[in-house]
Amino acid sequence: MSTPETAQTLRVVTIDLQGERFALETRHVREILDPGPTTLVPNAPAFLDRLINVRGRVVPLADLRLKLGLAPSDTTIDTRVIVLEVPLEDEAVTVAVLADKVHEVREIALVGMTQTPRFGLRCRPDYVRCIGQLGDDFVIVLDPGPIFAQGRAPDPVPATHS
Amino acid sequence: MSKTILTVDDSASLRQMVRMTLTGAGYGVVEAEDGVDGLAKANARTVDMVVTDLNMPRMNGLGLITELRKLPAYRGVPILFLTTESDAGIKAQAKAAGATGWITKPFQQEQLLTVVRKVLG
Amino acid sequence: MAAPDPVETFRHESQELLEQLEQALLDLEHRQGDMELIDSAFRALHTIKGSGAMFGFDAVAAFTHHVENAFDEVRKGKLVASSELVALALAAKDQLRILLERPAEADAAAQAAILAGFHAIVQGGAAAPANVIAPAADGAAAQGWRISIRLARNAMAMGTNPLLLLDELRALGPARVTALADDVPPLEELDPTDCHIAWQVELGAPCTRAAVEEVFMFVIDEMTLELTPLGAAAPPPEATATAPPPTPAATPTAPTQATKSAPPGDSVRVPAGKLDELMDRVGELVIAQSRLRQVAGASHDVQLRAVAEEIERLSLELRDTTMGIRTVPIGQLFGRFRRLVHDLCRDLGKEVELVMQGEETELDKTVIERLNDPLVHLIRNALDHGLERPEERGEKPRRGRLLLSARHAGAQVRVSIREDGRGLDRARIRARAEERGLVAPEQVLTDQEVFQLIFEPGFSTAATVTNLSGRGVGMDVVKRTIEALRGSIEVSSTPGAGTDVTLCLPLTLAIIDGLLVRVGEGRYVIPLTAVEECVELDADAEAGGARCNFLNLRGSLIPFLRLNEVFGTPRDPEKLKKAVIVSAGDQRVGLVVDQVIGDHQTVIKSLSKLHADVEMFSGATILGDGSVALILDIAPLVAFGQAHEERLMTAA
Repeated sequence: MSTPETAQTLRVVTIDLQGERFALETRHVREILDPGPTTLVPNAPAFLDRLINVRGRVVPLADLRLKLGLAPSDTTIDTRVIVLEVPLEDEAVTVAVLADKVHEVREIALVGMTQTPRFGLRCRPDYVRCIGQLGDDFVIVLDPGPIFAQGRAPDPVPATHS
Repeated sequence: MSKTILTVDDSASLRQMVRMTLTGAGYGVVEAEDGVDGLAKANARTVDMVVTDLNMPRMNGLGLITELRKLPAYRGVPILFLTTESDAGIKAQAKAAGATGWITKPFQQEQLLTVVRKVLG
Repeated sequence: MAAPDPVETFRHESQELLEQLEQALLDLEHRQGDMELIDSAFRALHTIKGSGAMFGFDAVAAFTHHVENAFDEVRKGKLVASSELVALALAAKDQLRILLERPAEADAAAQAAILAGFHAIVQGGAAAPANVIAPAADGAAAQGWRISIRLARNAMAMGTNPLLLLDELRALGPARVTALADDVPPLEELDPTDCHIAWQVELGAPCTRAAVEEVFMFVIDEMTLELTPLGAAAPPPEATATAPPPTPAATPTAPTQATKSAPPGDSVRVPAGKLDELMDRVGELVIAQSRLRQVAGASHDVQLRAVAEEIERLSLELRDTTMGIRTVPIGQLFGRFRRLVHDLCRDLGKEVELVMQGEETELDKTVIERLNDPLVHLIRNALDHGLERPEERGEKPRRGRLLLSARHAGAQVRVSIREDGRGLDRARIRARAEERGLVAPEQVLTDQEVFQLIFEPGFSTAATVTNLSGRGVGMDVVKRTIEALRGSIEVSSTPGAGTDVTLCLPLTLAIIDGLLVRVGEGRYVIPLTAVEECVELDADAEAGGARCNFLNLRGSLIPFLRLNEVFGTPRDPEKLKKAVIVSAGDQRVGLVVDQVIGDHQTVIKSLSKLHADVEMFSGATILGDGSVALILDIAPLVAFGQAHEERLMTAA
């Protein structure tokens, strides 16, 4: 059960969401864009209620912060839109996510879950693909599959503090 | 200059296979899907060789061979026909119409090339 | 870039050939002995066999061989295309489809039975397996051969190059070639295309006779080829292979007459996905072009305006051409139903003449594909419930008539299924609907409203449930499918004279004409086909503020929905609201918007799978400024409005 995933590395993009560092595997990332005009989808789930135009394709724009129990934040000069391709039921679905800041693409070493210090983990464990080592710190590598899977259980209420 | 071969067959898959085999060996390929089409293409430009199926709508292979041999430009141009029949009657008819040789279906790509090289050099 | 796979091409091709075969077989039933049809069936079988064997479909090829044989006999006049043979061939065709598509599911017993059937029919003809005795090959290899070669005089004209033959002999081993010019005529008599020279070759290679003969395989019947083993003490006189004189009986048969079908012309097979991509690109081009027009319109640069106009013309033409590529004649679909009708009539004991009209009418390929199941159901229904048995038809001709037709009507295509059967029983439908609680007993309904009830879920009026009516899709699914295609269904019926079900479908799925409106900060597109009119909302109605209210439109009360409330978006301070009256079926509802921006031709983009559960939008589109606008889905909006109306009525 607790075999540490030793010496395994993963190529990721590191991003900031509401002051916390997260990572997304580069294999899911299609491109990174500057934010543009968005269109509201009435009656859609709050974290997924916008559409953007990515080169002529209509792509949903998700706010992962709402999914991870974080508060939303305003668009700043650092805000980026990351276009992902997420495998959902044997089909690759294109979806964009907002990031407060995109840091870099890098290899990170994976850390076994048991070694993980007690994270202030507000997000559901199934949204976490694994934990990686980033200098002295740890970073959560998000798993977009479960995040965008349909028929999910309710997510945590966004924290009211900022 | 690479030689150009006209392939006439109503079966798209067969044309495709013939084209892939011949272009792979460096020949140019013109495709036609029946005798009428083949005759028009052969008239539009003189090709170095014709490979035709026999059973086709509108104008069959025998008709095409007969018509081609009436054209001065196609005297001496090798014409191969594809046949599934092993029976000699069909071959005799095609030969009488002016065919140079034949290839029996099914054939492998290598077999096709062997016959094409045999006749075209 | 990817090389096309001939195996894939063969699969496509064999589908078409099987359809061609089926058509020919079905026609043969009425036109027994029609050579064109027999040829068509034979050719389809022949190609399936030949190409199938080429691409590894050995089981297909082996099976087809026997069927083809039977049709070859028919072609030669040795066998009659009896209805027995046609029925067997239809069964064989079904078996072939299974062998091609799902070989693992092929029923060996059924296949054997079909083959046995063919054998039984063909028996008596020259069907004995020709046990070809291999030519007594002279396997003994000599030390070498002396070969004398004399080709037929016209060999070169027929494409044989003697030099290549000599080269082939040289490839077998060291060869000494001597040309014999004895027969060359004087120059003035010489035809340069004739072959006058003979050759003598001494081949110093220990190869078999067969190997030498193989070099001449294509010409051996028309030439003189003498082989003498070298190194043999006393060479026995070798048999000579002399060409028989060309048999006059073997003159080529006249080219088969062009069949009725339109000449195929040049065509290219393209995966549907690529066409969709092309359509997308063209859609984007049209959008970019409308942006260019805006920019150019605001500019005083005459040259820019001229170019913008030119681009506009070109992109609209390109759009039309591209849409044209996506369309296919509906005859492709209709053709499939002949078999269905044939089988159903047999099973139901009905006699029907199937008539088709407007097969050349073109429709978007996607629409055609999706129409298959609804049409199958409607036809089944027409034959099962609509048409009477021959003895029940009274003064009408014993043989019923089923008309499948298609025609263009504006931006729509109308596909109708009409039979001259007993007609819909209004009273029984009504009774059934009341029984099911679909209508209240006192409710007044028009004929059209009554007939539409048959498309309600779980509705079935057949007094006896036959084995046919149970399967496949229900009429409610027919309706759903047609509405999903943005189409509608019209029914008309006369007691005793028959029923007509007409499907009204948009020409293409990819582009719609829409009305662009603004609600708060959002812009939305309403499909123009649903729009009846736009009216200004007076202050009284506006003051209501309830989620749903009524609008008095020339005396009739129409419920209206404030879209900003439906969408949960902030209320716009705009004073003069507009109501866009839209309809779905017979129901109307007013949609209150802040501004009607104007007509907008729209390339539809489907919504992401992630938004599959968002109702009220059927898709999205990209506007001239690059932003995204949602396209309203009218049916759920109207249903939503009607539900409100009813709630208010009961509350009142």
